[in-house]
Amino acid sequence: MPVPKNPILRAITSLQLTIICLAALMVLVTAATLAQVDMGTMGAVNAFMRSFVVFWDVPGTQWMIPVFPGGALVGMVLVVNLVAAQGARMELSWSKAGLWIVHLGLILFVAGEFVSSAFQVESQMAIENGQTVNFVEGRDAELAVIDVTDPQWDQVYAIRSGTLRGQGTVAIPGTPVTLKVHQFAQNARLRNRMPNDPPSGATAGVGTSVAWSEVPPATADSDQDQSAALVEPIAGGRSYGTWLVSQALGASQSFTHEGKTYQLGMRHRRQYLPYSVTLKKFSHDSYAGTDIPKNFSSLVHLDNPTTGERRDVLIYMNQPLRYDGKAFYQASFGKGDTLSILQVVENPGWLLPYVSCVLVTVGLLIHFGISMRRSARKREAARLAQAAQGA
Amino acid sequence: MSKIGKYSAWIAGGLALFGALLMLRAPGRVRGLDVDGFSRLPVLEGGRLKPLDSVARNALLAIRGQQEFRWQDHTVLPGEWILDVLFRPQVADQQPIFVINDPDVLGMMGIRQSKERYFSFQQIVPYIDAVQRESQAAQAIEAKQRTRFQGAVLNLFERLYLYHRLKNTMQLEQSPGLAVEVAAPGAPGAAQRQASLAELAYFRAIPPLPGQKAEAWTSSGEALRAAAMGAANAGLEPMARIATAWSVQDAPSFNRGVKDLQIVTFGAWPEAQTQVDHETTFNRAQPFYVGMVIYVLAMLTVFASWLWKPAVLRPAAFGFLCAGAIVQTAGLVSRIVLQGRPPVTNLYSSAVFVGWGAVLLGIVLERMYRNGFGTAVASASGFASLLVAHHLTGDGDTMEMMRAVLDSNFWLATHVTTITIGYSGTFLAGAIAIAWTLRKQFAPRIDPETSRSLSGMVYGIVAFSLFFSFVGTVLGGIWADQSWGRFWGWDPKENGALLIVLWNAIILHARWGGFARERGVMTMAIFGNVITSLSWFGVNMLGVGLHSYGFMDKAFWALSGFIAVQFLFMALAMAPRQFWKRKASRDGADRATPARA
Repeated sequence: MPVPKNPILRAITSLQLTIICLAALMVLVTAATLAQVDMGTMGAVNAFMRSFVVFWDVPGTQWMIPVFPGGALVGMVLVVNLVAAQGARMELSWSKAGLWIVHLGLILFVAGEFVSSAFQVESQMAIENGQTVNFVEGRDAELAVIDVTDPQWDQVYAIRSGTLRGQGTVAIPGTPVTLKVHQFAQNARLRNRMPNDPPSGATAGVGTSVAWSEVPPATADSDQDQSAALVEPIAGGRSYGTWLVSQALGASQSFTHEGKTYQLGMRHRRQYLPYSVTLKKFSHDSYAGTDIPKNFSSLVHLDNPTTGERRDVLIYMNQPLRYDGKAFYQASFGKGDTLSILQVVENPGWLLPYVSCVLVTVGLLIHFGISMRRSARKREAARLAQAAQGA
Repeated sequence: MSKIGKYSAWIAGGLALFGALLMLRAPGRVRGLDVDGFSRLPVLEGGRLKPLDSVARNALLAIRGQQEFRWQDHTVLPGEWILDVLFRPQVADQQPIFVINDPDVLGMMGIRQSKERYFSFQQIVPYIDAVQRESQAAQAIEAKQRTRFQGAVLNLFERLYLYHRLKNTMQLEQSPGLAVEVAAPGAPGAAQRQASLAELAYFRAIPPLPGQKAEAWTSSGEALRAAAMGAANAGLEPMARIATAWSVQDAPSFNRGVKDLQIVTFGAWPEAQTQVDHETTFNRAQPFYVGMVIYVLAMLTVFASWLWKPAVLRPAAFGFLCAGAIVQTAGLVSRIVLQGRPPVTNLYSSAVFVGWGAVLLGIVLERMYRNGFGTAVASASGFASLLVAHHLTGDGDTMEMMRAVLDSNFWLATHVTTITIGYSGTFLAGAIAIAWTLRKQFAPRIDPETSRSLSGMVYGIVAFSLFFSFVGTVLGGIWADQSWGRFWGWDPKENGALLIVLWNAIILHARWGGFARERGVMTMAIFGNVITSLSWFGVNMLGVGLHSYGFMDKAFWALSGFIAVQFLFMALAMAPRQFWKRKASRDGADRATPARA
């Protein structure tokens, strides 16, 4: 193995650095695993694996002290180390072919994780039997202002939760309405207002009879935030009162300005699709005499007017529908088996891990095959030498 | 191998296998009653058809912690016990089947903790209200926050309830009995009893009517209800005769009833017969228990061989090891056939499989190096993993049905099996490293030849397990991508697998770079045991993630103890040879001290 003369290059290409990176990854993975108990999976992964630096929030203060390199940084250093070592140290020979392939596979693997962390979007599609849906919903919230005046046709304006968080005023384009955001809570708990509860801050709509309080964002993977906001629509210089909007509120609330009726509602952020999905039938079996689920499946009809594609698809466990860059998985069900919940994932890098795993597997096989043949030869030679000595 | 060695290997192996075969003998009749025939009848429980023998064994295991017990000077086997529970509850109530270890629970019943740990239902009856009250209080508390007493009382309540359901499966307790119900299913008051029976029944023993689906087995309550509506079931009548005959211990009538019920059941469902016969044989053979005993024999023999007559004893130990492996393989194959699934389906079977993999690897190593270390390490790992598996059976049926998410034979066969082989390898490497450590510290002399071969073994096995854990982890990722759309979800179990991969990679790179030599690699291999045990069991204790199918909380102390022992071994591996002796040369960590002059 040639060793580079330049000390910096030597450090970058060194095997010590590889080991340090691997050990740091072990520490990070362990920490991320333990932290899931308190922070939830995504919280822990973002804090430890997808960050460049891991911070420690000193309890009782606002200080954040960097204590450890984050997963993203370690991953990058590891890739640099791998590429550099591969180029500078390892000769291009057949006996090293296995290692070359393994390391190429590993680089792709890390790259795949970077692509996922940057581009992967997860959302859900909940459809009831017979219902047709042309959107998917994300975890985040949005405030929808819907012009429902025309019975044929809704005009939807959606404001992202990030914009609401900034508070201030938001003008709704194409309408005379401006929204003044008084307060926004990422996660809030609502209940019926009791006589001695403080006022909710709402002056119009169902919000006046509700008591609400902000709670910390949900961390458990099964929980979802229920965002809430106090907004005041102003149009033509006139205020229509302050309204409480939340995902926890079922009733629709609306006001009318100059003959146009606008609905206000907080909902999961929607992404509309150029095609629609209809649930024809959801089925679910249990093992005889038990509650253990045996299988779930959703028979859906896919209708894409832009391409003229119309077909039925059966989505079931381990058998997703991959369509238009998205994959639809059977995730859950509810409402006495009439509601099917599909997990929708969009990840442009989904093929990378497959390629990398094939490469690493093949590479390891080649490398260990070569080493085993070498070691068998050595043992054979030793045996012959011993026999010769004995003779 | 010398001729004498060959003979001793074959003799030892043959003897062990013969002993294993002896387990298959059918038990004799009990007081002339064909209990065996009855316990071979199929019933539906936990979503699958199984012999009553399995239900009885698992229930007794859950309630008493053992599959048989001594009572009134004879050994009560599961078949006899379940018959008493079903049809002679007044007898079953007197049998000491409830194990209670918790001093506070005993104290609640006014009993001082003593050697006697087993109590009969009758002894517990006066305190049932108290048990129920306390367990209701405990139930309201989250499992992790319960005190030891609350956990124990809840556990006792669950066992009492299981026992109560078993007693009310075929006929209601303190009712006139099954024969009366069958004679007049439409009698006044019968409908209510049928409803209670249908609700309480623990298993479904009445075969479906001809033309019904194979899963349509019913409980006696449901069958009686159907009979009242006019759909008489041919299985009820012989069952009623069995019930009456057992309650008065009338052997001829009981045996005739069993025969008739067999004809009704297997005449309509012949395929059920092969299934239950196979499973009853499997239950009786207890291959994993027998395997454990044989591995202990192998271990003791190989230890003896280092002191005395190595030419005879070492091959004998190898013979035992192979016999153990054959028995364990037979058990594994049996399970695969019975379940129609790949070998690893839950935590229990993963333990069995980890041991099996380690044993096979050890056999290969012994054939390659022939120094007894392969045998010692393989039999120790086989024994240890079967012991762990034995302690994981507490939940009852080890062949439960798979939840829909896991219901994929392809992925179970590839991902789960490969990753478990990876566990096997890492544990075996750790075991060899422990053997190396013990030898270094305690053997009277050390020849460098053996040290070199042990070192070669560990290197080879670490490479082997790196390959399998990597492939297994990635296959798991692909499975996750297929079923949830996330190749890598950072689930605790996935992270655990990743830790094993990373650690094995570190060992190999440290060796290639020359940062770790023999002693370093051995110490690191022992630490591999810690990592593997944590990712195998530890992550299940976190109680988060998608792999919570294997959740458990009791094993926490066992796991902590195991890890503490591994650290002790690591310290021993690092310490100079026989460091407690002053005369040991200061730099001679690995250097051979001269043999006694």
